[in-house]
Amino acid sequence: MMKKVGKIIGISELNVKILMYDKDIKLKDILTCELDGDIYKFEVVEIEGEIAQAIPFGRVIGLKKGVELQKQEGGLQMEYSQKILGRVFDPFGNPIDEEEIESEKKKNVYERKLTLEEISINNEPLWTGIKALDFFAPLQKGFKMGLLGGAGVGKTVLIKELINNVYKKLKSNAVFIGVGERSREGKELYDEMKKDNLLDKMSMVFGQMGETPCSRSKAVYSGLTEAEYLRDEENQDVLVFIDNIYRFVQAKSEISTELKRIPIENGYPTTMASDISEVEERINSTGKGSITSFQAIYIPADDITDEAVQSITTHLDGQIVLDRKVAEKGLYPAINVFKSNSKAIDPEKVGEKHYNLVKETLRYLSRYEELEEIIAVLGIDELSEEDKMIFYRSRKLRNYFTQPLFVSENYTGIKGEMVDIKDTLKDVEDILTGEYDEVDEGNLLYRGKLNGKEKS
Amino acid sequence: MSTHIEDLLNEKIEKIKNQENVFDSGKVIKVKDYIIEATGLENVKYFEKVNIWEKGMGYVNQINENSVTIAIVKEYAPIVVGDIVNATGEPFKAIFAKQAIGRIVDIFGVDLLTGRAFDQFEYIDVENPTIPIMDRREVKRPMLTGIAGIDLIYPIGKGQRQLIIGDKKTGKTQIALDTIVNQGKQLANNENDIICIYIAVGKTKKEIKSIYNELLKRNALSYTLIVAATNDDKQPVVSLIPFVGLSIAEEYMKMKKDVIVVIDDLKKHADTYREISLVSNKTPGREAYPADIFYLHARLLEKGCQYKNGGSITILPIVETKGGDITDYISTNIISITDGQIVLSEKEFGKGNKPAINYGNSVSRLGGAVQKEDIKKLGATIRRKFLSYLETKEVYELANMDEMSPELRKKMQEGKQIQEALNQQKFSPLSNAEIIEKFEPLGD
Repeated sequence: MMKKVGKIIGISELNVKILMYDKDIKLKDILTCELDGDIYKFEVVEIEGEIAQAIPFGRVIGLKKGVELQKQEGGLQMEYSQKILGRVFDPFGNPIDEEEIESEKKKNVYERKLTLEEISINNEPLWTGIKALDFFAPLQKGFKMGLLGGAGVGKTVLIKELINNVYKKLKSNAVFIGVGERSREGKELYDEMKKDNLLDKMSMVFGQMGETPCSRSKAVYSGLTEAEYLRDEENQDVLVFIDNIYRFVQAKSEISTELKRIPIENGYPTTMASDISEVEERINSTGKGSITSFQAIYIPADDITDEAVQSITTHLDGQIVLDRKVAEKGLYPAINVFKSNSKAIDPEKVGEKHYNLVKETLRYLSRYEELEEIIAVLGIDELSEEDKMIFYRSRKLRNYFTQPLFVSENYTGIKGEMVDIKDTLKDVEDILTGEYDEVDEGNLLYRGKLNGKEKS
Repeated sequence: MSTHIEDLLNEKIEKIKNQENVFDSGKVIKVKDYIIEATGLENVKYFEKVNIWEKGMGYVNQINENSVTIAIVKEYAPIVVGDIVNATGEPFKAIFAKQAIGRIVDIFGVDLLTGRAFDQFEYIDVENPTIPIMDRREVKRPMLTGIAGIDLIYPIGKGQRQLIIGDKKTGKTQIALDTIVNQGKQLANNENDIICIYIAVGKTKKEIKSIYNELLKRNALSYTLIVAATNDDKQPVVSLIPFVGLSIAEEYMKMKKDVIVVIDDLKKHADTYREISLVSNKTPGREAYPADIFYLHARLLEKGCQYKNGGSITILPIVETKGGDITDYISTNIISITDGQIVLSEKEFGKGNKPAINYGNSVSRLGGAVQKEDIKKLGATIRRKFLSYLETKEVYELANMDEMSPELRKKMQEGKQIQEALNQQKFSPLSNAEIIEKFEPLGD
């Protein structure tokens, strides 16, 4: 018989109060109990005197006062061996793909912290084959790339395209962390990976939107523990896909509200910034291996100034912002080029040519935005010759940066394409210098690289 | 005279005798709208059903150190401090009767058209556990609405969650009704049985009656159930109604049926939930909604899926917006849960476009994956052409038609034709074959 460490004295949907019998319960301990054949698990999040508060892993329907609890040794643990590859886990370390796992080694999900000495930075470029991304926000190995967007503008599609282009191409190890997103998409991703025999180098963790806030917030820690295993023990360059890191903050808000803690604006928890730092600081490269991460970030109520979004973006090396106004026009990926950027946009990193083309393109496109307003009042015919030229070339540039994606073949009916950065640079230069002035702008929509055929 | 008192006494004794399964009892110490607090009830379980002696019924919503908080779902007489509360030892469950198809029912198993309870019924959980991720299958079978703008351009699949969003009086409910009515035509060809469930969340009685009448008139009631909480029901009932509706849907899905659920509407549901949370002293977050408002709707809508046994639940939640703004907090929350949205706009409505779909803002995340081969390619082409036309139209509206390049002129003309072809009166569904015939000439 395991030692009883306390008993339940209060219950609400997302929180239980526990009277502790002894003092050796600490924060992040896992407590369990059984009632009427159901097992309930909780994580301790607050201790005051003899009373501890804990958040349930699952639902608490049917639970009552007086039930006694035991402590689970080792806290929250994840499998820490080769056996994670090809497998799918819930945030509590249990495989959910219907096969048992014979554990080799387990590790607590909170333990790893990097020292400054360990962290390494390299400058090797990493091309994704997505024109707009490679051009406006190029990546380097070890980067943290954010994919920001409001609801329904294409974050998940872009994440899936990146898995398709980068993971398949590099054939490196990867971890997919599903946080508070749709179960349907998670399952479909798993099915596709399995069908294409691509699962062998990937491990997945899902705490999806129908799960408790405890489950959703833990998915990040559990997934990162797996990525760290691949980096530290297998010396791999690891890709980490997180869809969606905002949901982590959201889950933390739910927990914090239940504990009746004082919120900051919009109900976010007081500890938001430190919660984010805690996980983001773990996503780094060391001398042993690198972690390149792609993090989808939901923008609530289309408000990019949202506290949580801003706190996350401070950690990023680059960001792609998806915009509803662009999506409304049917231009996908719906990238807002003015808000998308990368630390690699620097003549020393991408070269003078790339750098200058980005600058020139942005100059054209910002003038185009102004011209659009003028045209709405006066019409095109009233523009000066130079403005007309900028106007037409900009529309072509805008159309050029749309791209048929592999993962949206079903939606567009066009086969997906990857485009080499050299081709992108050449095409942009050609459009800017007027090579395509005679071509109808519609011909540049949803093309890969241009080959001159558009001209006929 | 003594007989009267005797009668009362006997009646009371009889009731005590009949009152089975009395477990624990307590006393009301606080009454705050529909949330009460009681002492005693030491052995009560979370979400257990409790009775307030002769006055009402509720469920345990929170267990505190020295008291229990109860949400009231039925109140026959005003509850006051000192009233006796009895535990039942059972979780709070809804009542559902299979013969309720074709009727309007509440969560207590009452036929609202007659006011009588069904004689054969079963208890069902208000909310079942989340459907495990591995029990889901790919959404790929079409769920046909009969509306060209949807079936062709933004198709819906069986197991998809597709939001219908727009201002008041833009035809949101109409799209749902069209969809339900069109299922009557699909019954013969569908591999599974089809059941439609319309969930009225805090609607007026008049609205619910008129929806019933519409469905009756169009012979849709043989496969449709209306589950309703009216706007004068207790707020906890209004907040539970969509969950109960989906529990019923899950019953049918597990019997390998294709279930189509309409939730009308989730904005009202969010507001009800906010009210309950604030009355229960929960900390307010953005726009005073509680922090778990996303979780509430996420776990509700995650019940929509293509299930492993072949059955499915398609959910069409409705959200009402103000001033055409689909970027407010609740709307974007729900958009981020669903697999796409049909946006209806007052502007399109005003122009006489029916259904008044704003095609630029509408999305289907599944797209062609849920269309049959013959319509898939045409759909992609028309969608691309039409969106490109809408965008170009804005910029070139003031330009001189004669000076346009021939390509541009063709695009403008075709776009206009597509727009006209998309116009469709209510309750006049088109089959896929009819849609293809109509749009094929515009797709080249």
